[in-house]
Amino acid sequence: MLSLGIESTAHTFSCAIIEKKGKQVKILSDVRRIYRPPEGQGIHPREASRHHAENSPQVLADCLQKANVKIDELDIISYAAGPGLGPCLRIGAVVARSLASYYDIPIYPVNHALGHIELGKMLTGAKDPLVLLVSGGHTMILAFLSGKWRVFGETLDITLGQLLDQIGRYAGFASPCGPKIEELASQSSNYLSLPYVVKGNDVSFSGILSATKRIIPKGLEDACFSLQETAFSMIGEAVERALSFTGKKELLIVGGVAANKRLSEILQSICKRHSCKFFVAPKEYAGDCGSQISWLGLLESTVKSGEKMENTFVKQSWRLDTVNILY
Amino acid sequence: MSTNLLRLLKKGAEADIFITSWNEKKAILKVRKKKEYRNEILDARLRTLRTIREGKMIHEAKKFGVTTPIVYFVDPKKCEIYLQFIDGRLVRDLPKKSIIKKCKDIGNIVGTLHKNGLMHGDLTTSNFILSPKGLVLLDFGLAQRANQIEDYAIDLRLFKEVLNSAHADIFHEAWNSFLQGYEKILGKTMTNKIISHVQIIEKRGRYANVI
Repeated sequence: MLSLGIESTAHTFSCAIIEKKGKQVKILSDVRRIYRPPEGQGIHPREASRHHAENSPQVLADCLQKANVKIDELDIISYAAGPGLGPCLRIGAVVARSLASYYDIPIYPVNHALGHIELGKMLTGAKDPLVLLVSGGHTMILAFLSGKWRVFGETLDITLGQLLDQIGRYAGFASPCGPKIEELASQSSNYLSLPYVVKGNDVSFSGILSATKRIIPKGLEDACFSLQETAFSMIGEAVERALSFTGKKELLIVGGVAANKRLSEILQSICKRHSCKFFVAPKEYAGDCGSQISWLGLLESTVKSGEKMENTFVKQSWRLDTVNILY
Repeated sequence: MSTNLLRLLKKGAEADIFITSWNEKKAILKVRKKKEYRNEILDARLRTLRTIREGKMIHEAKKFGVTTPIVYFVDPKKCEIYLQFIDGRLVRDLPKKSIIKKCKDIGNIVGTLHKNGLMHGDLTTSNFILSPKGLVLLDFGLAQRANQIEDYAIDLRLFKEVLNSAHADIFHEAWNSFLQGYEKILGKTMTNKIISHVQIIEKRGRYANVI
């Protein structure tokens, strides 16, 4: 079975084709183009969607060519229907709808965040993990329970990705700022005190955002170091609480911030203490990509037929814990 | 005291829990161990603060009649607390029907805390033990004095989140039962005020659509 997945929730426009033969799964191609805002600025939804619209034909063509697949050979098409930026989501949905209706291929609108988790599970082989989803759009601790992914902890305000990006932009870097902050942080070991806010299994990052801005004049490296240490320890504690409450024996970390080495070092140390297996999505597939959407489409196609064209919506606010998992 | 035999009962999120004895009584030793992954300055700050706070807050909660373990001894340098051993089952592990029933008592207890200006900060079904003498509230490491609606609403939101994840199939019954007990202590006006603030907090969440 051949599945095309289209991702366009935020800065990335990506198409990917996955082939599934019985139990064998192979990512044939995964092509991405990423919208880069000017330095010191964040994603402008209109500009990002323009980028996606302009690049979509080429990305799709490259994706098909790399996979050596013709459009009419595709068995299903899925697209990320939310959550994300409205104008960006619509581009992916338009591409998916056009292809599906012209070539008469079943279409699946899928949840972007769920794509992160399912691809992470497939690639790492985790079976029943506690999942930490950390990206620009999400900071959530989840576990699967009676038909749904349940939230055991999350951010009460901004996400970890947003925190890093906003500090980075404030300091004048280009988004996404995580890698630059990680690099600067590695050059310091001077800890400056920052607010540490854990409420039960939840975290809040708004206070640390303002406080970090205030200490930047004392030294950018020190500020980045202290920011990472504090924010990641908060996540670490929330994860530890959720692990001890749920008793799960696996931890899977997915999302763009999963690429941060210091964060995975912290989580690895936690897993060791709780004798729990540690899985992290491969760097290449940790951030937003079409493979996540394509794979989720394949999973959904095992239990339901394609969506009617009039129901191929986009939903900017679509929480993961409202999705019924049938497969 | 350290010559006593220790038996590890549980590795919690922030502390290891041992069974030990204190003046020949069966006791719990809660040790907030150094966390290797955490920056030393931050780690020392958190462990000391929470150990001291736990002792203080348990003491306060007792004053207005909330049942908690008795504190035998606090060692802020080693970040250790000796507590009374409570025999019983965690509410989390009770049968569904009893959880729903006990949620009313939990509501009572939380209402009493809030009425007296205290927030617990970590309200989960695993922090209540059902002992022969009734419910006992544990783990005051995140508790603090509180005087704003927001603080109380945070407690409620957390408990709601726990019910909606770990006890999803009985969420509505359990939550309503909790609110009944809570309202009995705080009255209708105050309860409604806090519940509507819970919704405000939930709306701040990502991609929120309030339940």
